[in-house]
Amino acid sequence: MSNLESDPHLYTGVLDDREDHAPGDAPEESAGHWVRNANIGLGFSIVLTVASFLLAGSNAIYAPAIPVALIVLAIAQMGVHLVFFLHITTGPDNTNNILALAFGTLVVFLIVVGSIWIMANLSDNMMPTGQLMQMQR
Amino acid sequence: MLGKLDLSAIPLSQPIPLITSFVVILIAVAVLILITAKGWWPYLWHEWITSVDHKRIGVMYCLLGVVMLIRGFADAIMMRTHQALAIDAPGYLPPEHYDQVFTAHGTIMILFGAMPLVLGFMNFLVPLQLGVRDVAFPTFNSVGFWLTASGALLVNVSLFVGEFARTGWLPYPPLSETTYTPGVGVDYYLWAVQISGVGTLITGINIVTTVLKMRCPGMSFLRMPVFCWTALASCMLIVATFPILSATLAMLTLDRYLGWHYFTNTAGGNPMMFVNLVWAWGHPEVYILVLPAFGIFSEIFSTFSGKPLFGYRSMVAATLFICIVSMMVWLHHFFTMGAGPAVNTFFGISSSIIAVGTGVKIYNWIFTMYGGRVRFEVPMLWSMGFIFTFIIGGLTGVLLAIPPADFVTHNSMFLVAHFHNVIIGGVVFGIFAGLEFWFPKAFGFRLHEGWGKVAFWFAFIGFWVTFTPLYVLGLLGMTRRLQHINIEAWRPWLYISVIGVGILILGVISQVMQLVVSIRDRETLRDVTGDPWDGRSLEWATPSPPPFFNFAVMPNVEGEEAYWGIKLRAVETQQLSPEPKYEPIHMPVNSPVGFFTAFFTTVFGFAMVWYIWWLASVALVAAFVGFVVFAWRDIHEFEVPIEQVASVDRARRAAREALLEKLTRQEVLP
Ligand code: HEM
Ligand SMILES: [Cu+2]
Repeated sequence: MSNLESDPHLYTGVLDDREDHAPGDAPEESAGHWVRNANIGLGFSIVLTVASFLLAGSNAIYAPAIPVALIVLAIAQMGVHLVFFLHITTGPDNTNNILALAFGTLVVFLIVVGSIWIMANLSDNMMPTGQLMQMQR
Repeated sequence: MLGKLDLSAIPLSQPIPLITSFVVILIAVAVLILITAKGWWPYLWHEWITSVDHKRIGVMYCLLGVVMLIRGFADAIMMRTHQALAIDAPGYLPPEHYDQVFTAHGTIMILFGAMPLVLGFMNFLVPLQLGVRDVAFPTFNSVGFWLTASGALLVNVSLFVGEFARTGWLPYPPLSETTYTPGVGVDYYLWAVQISGVGTLITGINIVTTVLKMRCPGMSFLRMPVFCWTALASCMLIVATFPILSATLAMLTLDRYLGWHYFTNTAGGNPMMFVNLVWAWGHPEVYILVLPAFGIFSEIFSTFSGKPLFGYRSMVAATLFICIVSMMVWLHHFFTMGAGPAVNTFFGISSSIIAVGTGVKIYNWIFTMYGGRVRFEVPMLWSMGFIFTFIIGGLTGVLLAIPPADFVTHNSMFLVAHFHNVIIGGVVFGIFAGLEFWFPKAFGFRLHEGWGKVAFWFAFIGFWVTFTPLYVLGLLGMTRRLQHINIEAWRPWLYISVIGVGILILGVISQVMQLVVSIRDRETLRDVTGDPWDGRSLEWATPSPPPFFNFAVMPNVEGEEAYWGIKLRAVETQQLSPEPKYEPIHMPVNSPVGFFTAFFTTVFGFAMVWYIWWLASVALVAAFVGFVVFAWRDIHEFEVPIEQVASVDRARRAAREALLEKLTRQEVLP
């Protein structure tokens, strides 16, 4: 849903672009800037994607290092998306975005690490079925 | 053509669902005829169904929640009476029916009763308390509500067409896989919860954005009422964890529909992963429900003690602490599944630590009352009943969080008593307190006090008489969800519990009476001032009910307890602030897109349940087309002319003049 339809309130104060704004109240970003930004991002992400496909199939680098290289490229890809598409920057109007990102990262970390820990622990304590049968005999 | 659907889906041989269906359909038809005969359709359509006004949506959420609470309560009555009759006897519910009843009860109470009510409060209150005119995404909001209603409808359809799940409110595999549950019950559950889950997520996003981005001038974070903080925390949890639920249920759906193996015992699947994931949502979910209830109590304690909330900042800190820690305790729901001591100890300790946050809050509420001029009105009774009840529920929770103790009490009636203790004592009491408190704001007249007090006492006593025996039964070794009972020693306790249910029924009747009597006497109960309880936050600055644009001019907040400050200043200077310069207001136009989408998602869900693929595809496309058409519209808002704004606000100011005079005369204010 765009913020076009979302702005019932009229902000009467002066728009200061160093402050946090309600959706729709933010100072206009010029369309040209927006498009250029998105295009640069598109370029970067294409390069990174193509690179990872090429790398996976080539023997340009030491084979066991390929997974590591792919991970690096993937992280770079995430960075590109965050900066160019989701507009996470260090700018003044970005506290909320940064906090949201931090919160999201924390949640994913808790759930993923927690689940891995729990499930690994469960399977450690779980006897292989064959052995269990043995014991019951 | 109709997939698996044929006449055998109608439960012709089972009198209970058949008669219930019949009565429900009869009532529905009668209501529809009444609306048509009275010519209310245009009003309903324009003012409610297509409304994007957050207050209307909030009220509709609450209405949905109340109706579903009653449905869930009917299930509860059946379970308690059945168990009392099933001691060395067959009882009156056959196993396959009894299992559907407890599954429907849990699912309905949490997801379609308590959730809509809590979301309804957030919708209604957050923009009013923040001093703004709407939520961040008004049309999106309407979509969210209607999707929740769509899920609720599917659950109820399962009563007449087919069956509901028999797996418990969290459908653990392998039982919920097609091998063991081939029928449509689990599919109804999956699609109903999935659709309403999307609706909840939408509302969560909406409220988070509203709180972060749409506060009125001067409303900094640390001046927000505590309810807004709890709404923010609760919605952050929604945004963080509802996707887990969606993903988990989607995986189970793939297992069931396409024969995949996420959670089967064969082909590398792992049923324990389902338990792990579903509780990673499930525990935060209980805090999604209870945090806003804490917010409601905070507002009520300070209003009826005539004091600012004690320890406002510690309240905010405790809220955020609970928000984060509640995502680190989920394993306490499956201590017995076989993790080692390290894991169990970690989660046992983290679960107990969460009680610290709640403890801070309880002390704050008690200190708010201490030294205050406490008024024992109905919302306050519910709140004090809550403190007492919730402390006991929290204590039994901490007991369950000790792994060795949980090995004895897990899945026993003790557990059942624990969570009803916190959910009824916390969430349901909070909802009733809130309904009593904000009813005049929403509808313009108060609820009858006498009936309110009667309802509270029946509910409070009824709760304890119903659930104390369950604690005892748990310690006597009774497990949960028993369809048949053959231990004589349990008999007296089960009987006492049924007596408790009887008292609770009286409570429900009193609530209905309260509503009826209040509507009858609405002229004498009318709230003309807009501030019936001597309130402290901005919603009481508006007339009751508030105009659709909430505030004629954006309030300017200069401290905590925004409205209290304005009121004090008015009393000191003996006059209202000078009349502001009015300007035209832009408000979003109504949109049928929410209703339209939800209609087709209901059809889609139904078609998926019965494997009617062509209908499912058509419905999905139709729902999508609705969105596209909506996205193409050109007119998003309309202008409210200055004259209208001014006349509404002048009427409000006139009422305030009268209030000011009264306040000065009575010297209610210090
Ligand atoms: C003081 C903090 C709390 C602690 C330490 C706690 C602890 C626990 C534990 C250990 C269990 C699992 C017991 C078992 O399955 O054997 C449990 C179950 C449950 N708790 Fe709590 N709890 C607390 C507060 C709450 C609150 C505030 C709510 C809801 C508003 C809640 C709702 C539930 C529900 C619904 C279940 C059972 C779900 C099911 O198995 O179907 N608890 N609690
Ligand atoms: Cu829990």
